[in-house]
Amino acid sequence: MLRSILVAFWRSFTRRPLYAALNLLGLSLGVAAFLTLSLLYRFETSYETWTPEHSRIYAAGVAYNFPGFSRATRVGAMGGLLEEMKADYPDVRGVRDWSQAVTVHKGAVATGEQMELVDPEFLDFFQTPLLAGDARTALADPGRVAISEDLARKYFGGTDVIGRTLDVTDSEGRATYTVSAVIKALPKNSELKLDLLRRLPVERTAKEQAWHHWGSLQLFTFFKFDRPEQARALEAQLPAFVDRRVGRTFGDDVVPHEMLALKFVPLRDVHLLDAKQRAAVDTLGVVGIVALVLALINYVNLATARAGLRAREVAVRKALGAGPGALRTQFLGEAASTIALAFLVGLAVVELALPLINAAGGLSLSLDYRRDGAWVAGVFGVVLAAGLLAAVYPAFMLAAFKPAQVLASSRAPSGGRFGARLREALVVCQFAAVVAAFVLMLGFLGQIRHMQEADLGYRRDGLYLVLSTRRVGVTPEQRNAFWETVRRIPGVTAVTASSNAPADDDFNSNSTAHRLDRGAPPEMATTLNVSSIGPDYFQVLEGRLVAGRMLDAQHGGDEQYNPKATPDTVTNVVISREAAKVLQYASPEAALDQLLDFGGRKVRVVGVAEDMRFYSPMEKVPARIYFFSGLPAWWPADWPITMVRYSGMDEAAMRARLETAWRQAAPGAPFEGKTALANLDRYYKPQRDRSNLFSLGAAAGAGIGCIGLYGLAAFNTSRRAREVGLRKVLGASSPQVARLLVGQFLRPILIACLIAWPLSWWALRRWLAQFDDPIGIGPGIFLAGAAAALAIGLATVGGLGWAAASTSPGKALRSE
Amino acid sequence: MIELKSLSRRYRSDEIETTALHDVSLTIRQGEFVAIMGPSGCGKSTLLNILGTIDRPTEGRYLFDGEDLTARSEAALAQHRAQRLGFIFQSFNLVDDLTIAENIELGLLYRKGRQGSRRALVEAAMDRVGVGHRARHFPHQLSGGQQQRAAIARAIVGEPSLILADEPTGNLDTENGAQVMEILKGLNAAGATIVMVTHSPSHADQAGRRIDILDGRLVASVAQAI
Repeated sequence: MLRSILVAFWRSFTRRPLYAALNLLGLSLGVAAFLTLSLLYRFETSYETWTPEHSRIYAAGVAYNFPGFSRATRVGAMGGLLEEMKADYPDVRGVRDWSQAVTVHKGAVATGEQMELVDPEFLDFFQTPLLAGDARTALADPGRVAISEDLARKYFGGTDVIGRTLDVTDSEGRATYTVSAVIKALPKNSELKLDLLRRLPVERTAKEQAWHHWGSLQLFTFFKFDRPEQARALEAQLPAFVDRRVGRTFGDDVVPHEMLALKFVPLRDVHLLDAKQRAAVDTLGVVGIVALVLALINYVNLATARAGLRAREVAVRKALGAGPGALRTQFLGEAASTIALAFLVGLAVVELALPLINAAGGLSLSLDYRRDGAWVAGVFGVVLAAGLLAAVYPAFMLAAFKPAQVLASSRAPSGGRFGARLREALVVCQFAAVVAAFVLMLGFLGQIRHMQEADLGYRRDGLYLVLSTRRVGVTPEQRNAFWETVRRIPGVTAVTASSNAPADDDFNSNSTAHRLDRGAPPEMATTLNVSSIGPDYFQVLEGRLVAGRMLDAQHGGDEQYNPKATPDTVTNVVISREAAKVLQYASPEAALDQLLDFGGRKVRVVGVAEDMRFYSPMEKVPARIYFFSGLPAWWPADWPITMVRYSGMDEAAMRARLETAWRQAAPGAPFEGKTALANLDRYYKPQRDRSNLFSLGAAAGAGIGCIGLYGLAAFNTSRRAREVGLRKVLGASSPQVARLLVGQFLRPILIACLIAWPLSWWALRRWLAQFDDPIGIGPGIFLAGAAAALAIGLATVGGLGWAAASTSPGKALRSE
Repeated sequence: MIELKSLSRRYRSDEIETTALHDVSLTIRQGEFVAIMGPSGCGKSTLLNILGTIDRPTEGRYLFDGEDLTARSEAALAQHRAQRLGFIFQSFNLVDDLTIAENIELGLLYRKGRQGSRRALVEAAMDRVGVGHRARHFPHQLSGGQQQRAAIARAIVGEPSLILADEPTGNLDTENGAQVMEILKGLNAAGATIVMVTHSPSHADQAGRRIDILDGRLVASVAQAI
């Protein structure tokens, strides 16, 4: 039987190459799309599985319940959470990871790196894979560092570097550290960046006020539990713990755990904690499944269409003693062989296309058969099982042919009315998916273009951001010297410094405000996002004033740092239009000269500025309050980011001049800068990448749909050849016959549109709901999606229809 | 060997009931060569299909070597065909995608139990009908006569006790038709029981008995001298 199956399978390729190629190509495309998106799904959902402890580790998270503030859980904690937890629950095990930007010096070259200040047991806690060193002792000494093998190669040219030294400037100043461990390169799907690790100097940091500032997300804290129920049991006690520990810090009438909920987030869930991100990954997974289903629909369509051609073979086999079971085994065996070959071809397509897919989707997917062998086998099992399930109908249909009837008939059976209806229904399903994919693709592209072109409230081009001015170790004098030099660069029109910049949320501080003209009812308080700004801030951004005036050094009350300030001192501020709205002023003008209590500080609104979208297009533009300082060079180390407005110069030339100016001003610190457009791209790129991936999946789906339609059209056209001849004998012209043949395939496409439109409208509306500023959904994209599907359908079957219609009637009548 | 008792076969479509066979009783002995004749639509092929168990009677009984096949399951009938029957069709019905050797091997494929070397049996059958040199060819590469000889080889490869031939010379010219008849007569002489439907009186005359059917009824059964 096996030989018989393989012979039939092989002959189907050698004797009917077009049918076999269509079948194989459709299946392979579906398998390739499914494999790729499965790879992506696996990549995205297996973050941190590099640590054998991943199922036992949880990250501390916080969900705030502040007015006007998102209630989503954020991963992070105040520095002192671990000590406070240990004080109340002595058995708790945890470590912290505090990322800091540092400078590594090698000779005269200064390079910016990220250092992780961690608890000494961090490496052992995560069972971090090491090339050299002892995880338990490597970070015991504050003078030691553990580095990644990549960093070892970068600075020492190899990985045999235990005992070598690194010269690093961090928040404690410049010091030399001895390398005590080399960490194996972690897979790319890890949120942890373990390049340079040093012991967290708790003895110093614990004395800082911010270390026990409830509500801050200073660093990451990880806890380990042997069993999930232990984590859940402790989590249940956290509200009481928060109430106990916060006390009256949030106010007399406030129940702390109602304002701030502590959570344990499983380590594997950290990467996709954001529901929108999770939904995006799930959507791509669904696209992969849909592509495979479309391919299987194709298979069923072509197999059932071709079943009629095999009816006589079935009848002969039955007459020769084949029972239904043997025939079903034969046809399912042939299906399994086809699916296995399609899987291999699909795998080869994936291998060839991965560089393109990685580039289009901003991914780093790879297939390593030694490592991924079991996974590939598992996916094959899924594809085979789904394929065999799909093949059951054609196999049973074939095995059910009555030999006496088939042998007595001159025409091959077609599966009857049910078979024809089923095939049409399947084509409708395929094209509904294609139309929906087109509509969604157009919607995605429209939204992405809108995000990149929409008015953000400031001019995003011609704006350069220099982040180096807030690097640790950079002095106020160096900052001032840099700014002075930059102001003299030809083409630079204005320079400013601020704590926030487009797409830079390293400094993100929020506090509650309430209007003093209404007393101080807590329920009227709202959360405002704070920006500290230097001179010329609005001029550099080309932000727009809605009412009042900007802040400047000429007005004494504008300066936020006043050494003679008393609790009654009023500081002038500018608020955003959104802030005026959430503070319930009747108009921006009505907010002018009004007094607010902002985090216990008295402020007066002297201006209202247009909202400026600095952060993700998926987030609401925060209500913002601007505090002015005429001397930003003296701000805390990690605040001042430099913004430069320039014109008449390209980005590379601007960068070169800024870099030269920086090297003159601060030779010991690395230059780090990029345009606002490049910085903002980090918000657009994931959307663009996902849209690209979706488009690739949709293109695969459309290709599969076309292959299916072509195969079915070819089959039906050949079956109707005799009818074509008869119609022509009776006087039909070639165009009339072509219209008849093509028309039968346009009907399912039009029905598909009616199904796809409401579904894609619903899906697009859901997708757009994640954006703060979504595009409107007009009828244009639905019509365009349908037109594209129709054009593809026409191009696919038009040629076939015309060729059949042009056949001479005599030849057509001799067919069958 | 074969005993049909009051056999009827009716076909029912949406509104019309057609009687293809009506109260047919017939006995065929081991080693007989029976020719069935009658006009188109008289029920010849229906009778042959029932004898071949690829169709079932509506009424009556069908005994084969004393065994009642009327109510046997599909699977049992399939095994019966695989073990005991050989089919020859007017339009050959070779499977296009299989070579001549593979087509002939189909006659052994669905048999249960050990079959020894199928290849040797296939080669012997091909040699008996003179298509050994065409073993690796596909059906469309052979002439009609060669295709029918290949079909005969497929029917006899398993040495069945009954060969059913449905107008085996219908699609052949006179010379090839005569050759096929010679092969069938040779098989019968070697002990095979053959039931042949034919339109050709001259070919019917070469059988040991001729049965005439008209409108689904058996109207004559005449023994003939060969």
